[in-house]
Amino acid sequence: MNGKNTSSPKKALAFVGNNAVPIMFIIIIAVCIPISGFSPTFLLNEIMTRLSRNAFLILSLLIPIMAGMGLNFGMTLGAMAAEIALIFATDWQIWGIPGIVLAMIISVPISALLGLACGRILNAAKGREMITSYIISFFMNGVYQLVVLYMMGSIIPIIHNNVKLPRGYGVRASVDLTRIRKSLDGVLAVNIAGVRVPLLTILIIVGMCLIIVWFRRTKLGQDMRAVGQDMEVARAAGIDVEKTRIISIVISTVLAGIGMVIYLQNMGDMATYSSHSQIGMFCIAALLVGGASVDRASIGNVFLGVILFHTMFILAPRAGAVITGNEVIGEYFRVFVSYGVITLALIMYETKKRRAKAHMGAQLELEQREEEKR
Amino acid sequence: MKKRRFLIRAGVIILLIAIGGCMMVIGRGHTVYFDNKKLEYEGQQLDTYRRINVFVNGEQVAKLSAKERGMASCVGQSFHFDIEATKEKGDDPEQYSFDLSLPYGIDGVIVNLPAIIAGLPQEAWMSEFVPMVVEEEEEEEIVLDDFDMSSDDI
Repeated sequence: MNGKNTSSPKKALAFVGNNAVPIMFIIIIAVCIPISGFSPTFLLNEIMTRLSRNAFLILSLLIPIMAGMGLNFGMTLGAMAAEIALIFATDWQIWGIPGIVLAMIISVPISALLGLACGRILNAAKGREMITSYIISFFMNGVYQLVVLYMMGSIIPIIHNNVKLPRGYGVRASVDLTRIRKSLDGVLAVNIAGVRVPLLTILIIVGMCLIIVWFRRTKLGQDMRAVGQDMEVARAAGIDVEKTRIISIVISTVLAGIGMVIYLQNMGDMATYSSHSQIGMFCIAALLVGGASVDRASIGNVFLGVILFHTMFILAPRAGAVITGNEVIGEYFRVFVSYGVITLALIMYETKKRRAKAHMGAQLELEQREEEKR
Repeated sequence: MKKRRFLIRAGVIILLIAIGGCMMVIGRGHTVYFDNKKLEYEGQQLDTYRRINVFVNGEQVAKLSAKERGMASCVGQSFHFDIEATKEKGDDPEQYSFDLSLPYGIDGVIVNLPAIIAGLPQEAWMSEFVPMVVEEEEEEEIVLDDFDMSSDDI
């Protein structure tokens, strides 16, 4: 009885420790909802919009985590590929769902090539994948700017003046995607108790979740999990570790490209030079808010993360305005929370890893002593 | 085994290219402009109508008096529209239906309604819409900020 009593608080503490970030967010949201004064219908509509907009992108992060490559900051590469594809689809005047499908198809080879290059570099930087992928995304951003700002319109044909800069080459800072805006979200959209549900987009996201669940059970999925647990053991078992890791990054980048098309069709406007640079950070922050860590993430974390992170995003400016009388403070709040949560999650991951290592070391020492006594 | 894999990959690539090609055809957007304007073709003088109502998919997209222009968007290469034309005041409106095949390379197509009603050849009633080029005095400023997380909407 006593044992039970002492283990329950320990379990509760362990649960809180393991889920500190989502619990923290739930508390912030619970405090902010009444302060903001938003109606439940408005909040649910906003959350549904953001869920359909972001979930696919965040799902693209799961596969590299499975392969032990951590949070793929290189998903930005897929986002760039999607933006290039959308520039072409807009310039060629392909509207509606066909425009979205075409953009997805164009983005696939570009994402795959970028993912391949990224995967090869990450193989050369084992153990430092996250920082390397982060820096690769900066490097590729420079290449992207060179292509979009100087080569498009001069070397790569761009016809329309609403896409091209007035000087005759380079793409405008903002590309109008009105002709494809919400084309996907509009199909099969239903209204449930005042909440607009973009059914087709949700079905695509659910389909992606099922594919991920199926993929985990395939030979390649099992190989990735083995590589993620221990590369040396996986290699000894005959798995081509390097190839498996590259495939995981390629899949992630391609999915990120498709996800970015879904994201931008919902927005209806593309910030040519900044959309992609923010997206990786936001997706990773949302995944971490959902309770994922660098080496463990599930589909549940994706959905919980999108809901919590984006609810905070909706609430923070209004709550900030009500509390301080200045909406800008709310804006700052959500910005520092976004970066802060990534930092916190990384610190917690490292602390846990060290603790586990120390615990294992202590256990090993104990076992050795016992053996010596015998 | 290798041959089979190669064939599957090649098949997937061909399928994607084919789907992309289909999307480029079925998703090509055009803007169709309807003119109720006078036209002279091979010595034949065509006058405007007093009133023309244009319907696309049963929805009225333009209500044109003489010398006016209306427009509608069209996705794909074929375009069907109905018109209700009244020649003079007090006349009964006449109904017409037209199916157009839009040229792929043209974004904006101008259709002269009096000419199409008169049954003239396509070259008489169809022309390309060329937007007026407006000189932009100021060059657009491109801001390259990699660390901006303060966007309003994500």
